[in-house]
Order: sequence, then structure tokens, then C-alpha cells
Amino acid sequence: MAASFSPDQIISQLDQAKQLAINQPETHPQVFRQILPFINRSELPIKQWCIQFIHDTFLNNKQLGHADKVDLAIDSLDSLINLTNTTEDIDNFCKVINIANIIYKLVFQYVSENDGCNQIWSKLTELKNSLVNKFQTNYPLKPSDNVEHDLLRNVVTKLELLKFIMTVVDYQSKTQVVGSTNGGNIKIAFSLDRVPPNHSLIKYLNMEYEAVNLLDLTLKTLSQDILNPPMISATLNHGIIIMKKKPQYATKILKIIESYDTNTKLQSNYQTIEQFKLARKYVDRVLKIFIQHCKKYGLIPTNFQNSLNKKLQLLIERGDEIRRKNIFLEDNVNIRKRKFEGFLNPSKRVKALDYKNLYTLNDLNNELNNFDLTTVPQHILVSMVMNALERASVPKLTKALEIISERYTNALTMSGSSLVYQRPTQSVQGEQMKVQDKVKSEVKDESDEESDAEQYNPEAMYTLPPPKDLSFQDKKVQIELIIKNFFKLAKGEKTTEEINEAEDNISSELTKIAIKSWKKDSWILLLTRLATRGMRRRKPKTEDDEDEDSYDLETSPDDKVNQEMGDLIRTAIFDYFLENIHGRIDVIIEWLNEEWYSEVVFNEANKIKNGETTQSTPIYDKWAAKVLDAMIPFLEPNDKKIFIRLLSDLPNLNQDLISRIKSLCYDPARSTIGFLALSFLIMYRPPVKQVCLDVLKELSDSDQEDVKEEAKKKLEKFAT
Amino acid sequence: MLEDSLKICTVCASNNNRSMEAHKQLQDAGFDVKSFGTGSAVRLPGPSIDKPNVYDFGTPYQVIYDDLMSQKCRKMYESTGLIHMLDRNRQVKTAPEKWHSNSYAGKFDLVITCEERCFDSVLDDLMYRMYANDDDDANDVKKIVHVINVDIKDDNENAIIGGRGILKLVNMIHDFKRKKQEEKDYEDESDVILEDQMMAILAEWQKDHTHLPTIYGVSYY
Repeated sequence: MAASFSPDQIISQLDQAKQLAINQPETHPQVFRQILPFINRSELPIKQWCIQFIHDTFLNNKQLGHADKVDLAIDSLDSLINLTNTTEDIDNFCKVINIANIIYKLVFQYVSENDGCNQIWSKLTELKNSLVNKFQTNYPLKPSDNVEHDLLRNVVTKLELLKFIMTVVDYQSKTQVVGSTNGGNIKIAFSLDRVPPNHSLIKYLNMEYEAVNLLDLTLKTLSQDILNPPMISATLNHGIIIMKKKPQYATKILKIIESYDTNTKLQSNYQTIEQFKLARKYVDRVLKIFIQHCKKYGLIPTNFQNSLNKKLQLLIERGDEIRRKNIFLEDNVNIRKRKFEGFLNPSKRVKALDYKNLYTLNDLNNELNNFDLTTVPQHILVSMVMNALERASVPKLTKALEIISERYTNALTMSGSSLVYQRPTQSVQGEQMKVQDKVKSEVKDESDEESDAEQYNPEAMYTLPPPKDLSFQDKKVQIELIIKNFFKLAKGEKTTEEINEAEDNISSELTKIAIKSWKKDSWILLLTRLATRGMRRRKPKTEDDEDEDSYDLETSPDDKVNQEMGDLIRTAIFDYFLENIHGRIDVIIEWLNEEWYSEVVFNEANKIKNGETTQSTPIYDKWAAKVLDAMIPFLEPNDKKIFIRLLSDLPNLNQDLISRIKSLCYDPARSTIGFLALSFLIMYRPPVKQVCLDVLKELSDSDQEDVKEEAKKKLEKFAT
Repeated sequence: MLEDSLKICTVCASNNNRSMEAHKQLQDAGFDVKSFGTGSAVRLPGPSIDKPNVYDFGTPYQVIYDDLMSQKCRKMYESTGLIHMLDRNRQVKTAPEKWHSNSYAGKFDLVITCEERCFDSVLDDLMYRMYANDDDDANDVKKIVHVINVDIKDDNENAIIGGRGILKLVNMIHDFKRKKQEEKDYEDESDVILEDQMMAILAEWQKDHTHLPTIYGVSYY
């Protein structure tokens, strides 16, 4: 509708609509509903305008009636849920939280009075969860390099979210005012006890359970080992609501306060010693005021009075003492710093385009950075690096690599701007010219110098071409290489220890760290998983695909390529098996189990969706049949054990697979194996009992007498 | 008045000396400022320590001024600076106002108290307002308020020194806020969030003003 208008034009139209709503309040709901869809526009100014408009509609708007507000609140739920996840700047996100605060109250009360509006209730729950889940994150900011820093970041959003969570706690628990209501001055807001007890959606137990958990979540601020005065005082200021209106939870807060001591807290690595000293004083003062307030209004249960009186006395004395001194001259002896878990230079931006700035996570001014590592002999260097890598925790290493990679990206985006265009110093420029000359002479043998000079543009930006997509043939070559390497490993039969002893070089050291638990037969696990999971096509089998090879016939070319590459691996394993059928049965069992399991798991969701009840595993069936077909002709009369082993360990047997045993029964030299296998299956694999009996029945009708006789015997034995 | 001024108020016991000096200095610098007292009444020095001049909040400074001028010890009031103080006050606003009944004045972003007792009183009152629900519950949400105490001795000279200190602090806070507007290219937005950096600002200010001890807390109202 408005696609052809610029954001400015749209905003001016929105302004006119808003003006109409202000001048004629009765049109406000209608205007609101028409403006609401604009919230989904991608242009930031329009989105901001809409957030402000919704904010002004719900907050401090006396013109709009309560009933209209409730209607509009319900209409806004979807947009608001969307906004809680898409608003990326802090000011607007805080507005969204405040809107949600009002809307939560209005809609909760509405649902309470109108049982059965499941959809509205589930949307309200979604909105609530979306915000509650952000309390422990730094949304809309990205997390920093460590948890401690994140506790102290984005405090303003946390303060707003705390307020929202406390509204939820207030509404979702029963209110029992302690002490006086100040002559009715203390108005009691809506809360759980005004919801009908048999409400089908708002269930008392669930609500109270959630309220307690949310309260615990907010109280986590008080159990942190560092001090964050704004959050602590905000939490205590909200705690007073609990003390006055929710005595059932008062113990929770008082227990924490009873044992809370700023002297046991640690100085954060993100605060100076001065800030920490001030923080201790500030927090002590707010604690004192909290206890005094509770005392003054009789909010402290008797069992806490003694201990809190002592606490109060201690805090008063501490405050008096600190007032007489210059707080910064106070002794530092008892101050301990929290263990540092971050990086001293966590910046994701490169200050200058050099290796030092790219890779240093240490303080850039640290003298250690000037140490020339090239003077250290290589073997010592290697063991130093290995040692460091082994000691580093995986999350920290990951974070470190993440920072470096962001710096790379940053360096790339910056290369177009100031950094590259900085005029190089004379000597550097000279060097560059030499390099360029060399490159040119290599590229063009007989180039004319003049035209070179014309083409030379010092400001041109040279970037590497983007990597080309691999063709199917290339991929195939790579997969074959991978397969070859794996089988080399399989046939090499060397353990890691042996490899390490044999060659003491860097790559073996690296292997040791990279694959700590490499075992002799790890290769088969990796290879089978690559085939069954890595190369899995995305689209599951459809109902129409009935024939044996149907899984090959897929619509998506990518799927088909994946399938073909997976089959390359399967064929390789199969061929490996054929080389030594008797010795490699374990490999086959492991592979086919992987095959079946992956297929079942991947098809599960689809199965549920289509309401199917039977498992279909076409890939497994195809390869299990191939294995049996390959194996049966080569079975010797004394191969009983491995054949039975295979049949007992295959994850699934169907009629088709079992019918392949028939050929064994017909072979006079090996019929014992065939009948033994059938008896075994009848006894130990009940799901296929009937299929085996059917096979026996078929054999008993055979024109080969000995077979007929043996089959009848077995039938008599098992058919009952 | 500055366009980007936070809504500020200064608070002392009687809303006459320290809060009014700071009020004037902040107002002269262009800030949006009001002032209040947390005492039960306005108490000014009288002929002797046990005979203070007591007025209700709301009594115009002009009335108090005239009353003191009509007393016998007018000369003493003149020499102690009391008359000068009231002369200044009546040019700033009409009458001393009480913190506890200031809902008519709207909400503040920043409350600066001038004595620990007043800080306690403001926070205690804000705690009371947390559950007393002055506001229409489903029409409004509580707002974050930063409360800072700057401890100032209650005399003329210290009120002026304290006022200067408060002005410096408020300027630092505003400069910080402006930095966010001007420097769009920051790596970590946390560096420009006032709430994240308030402790750093206070510590920096406190280093230069060790004679004006601070307390700080965040509340809602």
C-alpha cells in the first residue's frame, strides 16, 4: 500500500493519523489498529515511531477508556512479542518492556475474568517468557568475552526487566498485606487471589510456582560474589513490595539479607578499587535503609527480629566509621579481587593493521609482548604451544578465536576506509613498490613500462577472489580421498601411541591434541556417520517411493549429490568387507546399525507428522540385502557362528532379508547353517518368528526331500 | 533551559540552604531542576539553639523573610547570612516544598540529597511509594530514579562549595550522556550507558571531592 512512499512521507502520514487520534479520542482505537501493522516495517524510523505511539497509547493516557485499552492490549500481543525479539536499540527496548508491563496487567486480568480464551493466554505467556528469558542475557547487546563483565553491562535494561518480572511475581501470587493499609491508602492491585480458584488457564499452583522461581531469579543479584550497587539497590527496593504484600516469600529475602556482608564480596575486574570501596559503602547504606523501613512498618517476622537488629547495628556503626574518614585512604588489605576470566584486550576491532593488533589478547602495553619468540628453539616452542593448548579451556579458546575472527572481519571492512588509505611512510611505500613490481614482472613478461605505470593505482583495493563452489566431480574426488585415507588408517593398524613414538614431529603432536581418544577402529565410526548423517539428504522418503532403489530418486540436486557421495562411502565399506568376509563382520554390523539408527531417527519427525505407524528404512534394507547376498554364497559349513552373529546383531530383519536364507537350506553342504539360522531366529527374535515359520512352510512344500523333511520337523517343533 | 537536561531535584532538610544553593546553581547553568525538604517542618536558626524559627512547608520565602526582619535579632540574622539566604531563595522560587508530598511535581530522573539523613528519608519514602500505589496501576509504570547523596555541612560557605560540587557532578553526567549522542562509533555500547558507568562517574568525581562523601542507589517511582 505504502510501498512507493519514503519513510519520511510515511511518518508524516502516521503523524496525521496520530493527530486525529488526539483530537478525536473516540477514533484512537481505530487509528491504533491501522497503525499496528507498520511495526513490522524494516525502516528503523518507522518502527521507532510506532513503538513511541504504542507507548503513548498505554502509558499515562487518561483519554482512552479501560475497556478500549484492554481490547488494544489483546490486539497488540503479537506485535509486542515480535518487538521483544527484534528491537535492537536499548532505548526502544526499554520502552517495549514498559509497554509489556501495562499490557501484561491488562490482559492477565482479562483472562482471569474470561475463562477459556486459550489463545490470548498462550500469547501472553509467550510475551512474558520472551522478556523473562532476557533478564540474564545482555539483550539487545551481544555478550562480552566473559560472564563477570556481562553482569555489569546493560544495567539499564536489567533494571527495566527487573521491574517487569516483579509485576509478574505480584500478579501471579496471592497478596496478603502485612500491617496497616494506611487507612485504605494502600490500594491493592490485582493479583492471583482475585482469579476464580477453578480457572482453567490460570492455575494457582502453576502461577505460584512460577512466581517463586522468578523471585529467586531476581534475588540472584544478591548472591553474586561482586557488587553492582544499582542492581542491588533496585532489587532491595522491589523486595519491599514482597515484604509488605507477599509475606509468604519474605523469609527468602530476609535469609539472604541476614547473611549478606559486603566485606565478603570481591572486587570486580571491571571496577577500580575506588569504585569497589564506594560500592561497599553504597550497598551497606541501602541494606540499612531496607532493614529500617521493614522495622518501622512492622514487616519483620519475630524469628528474624534479633538477627536483623544486630545486622542493622553493625551497618550503622560501619556507616558512622566510614563517614569520619576519607574513604579512598582506607586500608586495601582485606580487598580481594575476583579471579579474572576474561581477556585484557577483548576488543573486536583492529586498531592498526598488523599482526600484533590482530592477535594480541593480552594488554597491548604488556612488556611480554616485546619478547622475540623467534629466538626460542623450535622444539621448545612446540612444547610451549602444546602445553598452552592443552591447558586452555575449550570455551575460553573458542571465545579467543571468536575475537580474532571478528578482528579479521573488522580489518576487512576497514580496509576500504581509513586504514588502507593512510599514506604509507616513505620506506614502506618503497617496499610496496618493489613487491608490486615483482608481481607484475611475474605476471606479464613483456609488459610495457609506461602502460604499467598507467594501470598502477595506489588506491586500488586488492581482495582475494571468493572461493569457488566445488563441482560434484571435485567433491567426489575429495570424498574418495577421504575414504582412501580412512582405509589406509584401517589397514595400517597403527595405534596413536605407536605413531607418536615413531615420529616425533609437530603434526603428530597436533594429532595427539586434536584427537585425544583415537582408537584402532575409530575410523569406521567416523566413516559410517559421515555416510549416514553427514551425507544425508534433507528430504525424507515419500510414500510414493516404493521400489527398492527409490531413495535415489530425489528431486533436489543437492540431495542427490549427497546421496551419491554417501553411497560412495557405503560401497567402499562394502568392498572392504568383501575382501575378508570372515574377519570383518564386526565392521559390517557396526555400519548397518548406524545406518538403521540414523534412518529411523531422521524419519521419525516425518512419521509422526504423517501419522504413519510402520518404520521404513529403505537405505538400510538395500544394503543389508546386499551384504547377505554377498555373504551367503561364500559361507563355509563351519561359519555357523559368524552368520548367526550377523543375524542376531542386525537391527532389523524383514521378510525379504529372511527369505534369502532359503538358498542356504537348499544347499546340501550348508543346509545345517540355514535351518540353524531359522531356528535361532524363531527362538530369539520373536518379531520375525512368523516370517521364519512362513519360510519353513514354503520349504516343507519343496520338491527336495531332505529339505522338506527337515522343514517339517522344525515346523512341528516351533509351530505350536 | 538546556534541551537535553535530565529532570533533577535537590533535597535537604528544610529546603532553604543546601538544596536551594544547589537549586540556584543548577538553574543558572540551565538545568531542569526543582528542590524539596525532607524535614517535618522548615526549621531556621532562632535567637538561641533551643528556639528555632519553625514554619510549615509551603510558607513563602517572602513571608519567612518578613518575619525574620521583624524580629529583634534581625541584625544577628543579617550577620549570619540568614537574610541573604532568604533573599536568594525568594528569587529562585516561591516557597519551600516538602519531598513527601511532591507528586504534583512529576517524576525526576536524578534526585540529589545533601545529607545522609535526607538520603535515607528519600529512599524510605520511595520504598513506601513502591507498595502504596499512588499511581493508577494499569495506566502507568514506575520509572527508574537515581538517588545520589552529596554530604554537605549546613552552613553558608559549605552550601556554596557543595553546590559547586553538585553542579560539577551533574555536568559530568550530562557530558557523559552527550558523548553517547555524539560518538556513534563505540565498540561496546555498555561504555555509553549511564547506568553501566554511573559508578565510574561517581568514583571519578569523588576523587576530586573527598570532602563531599557520596552515597548512591537506584529506586523506582
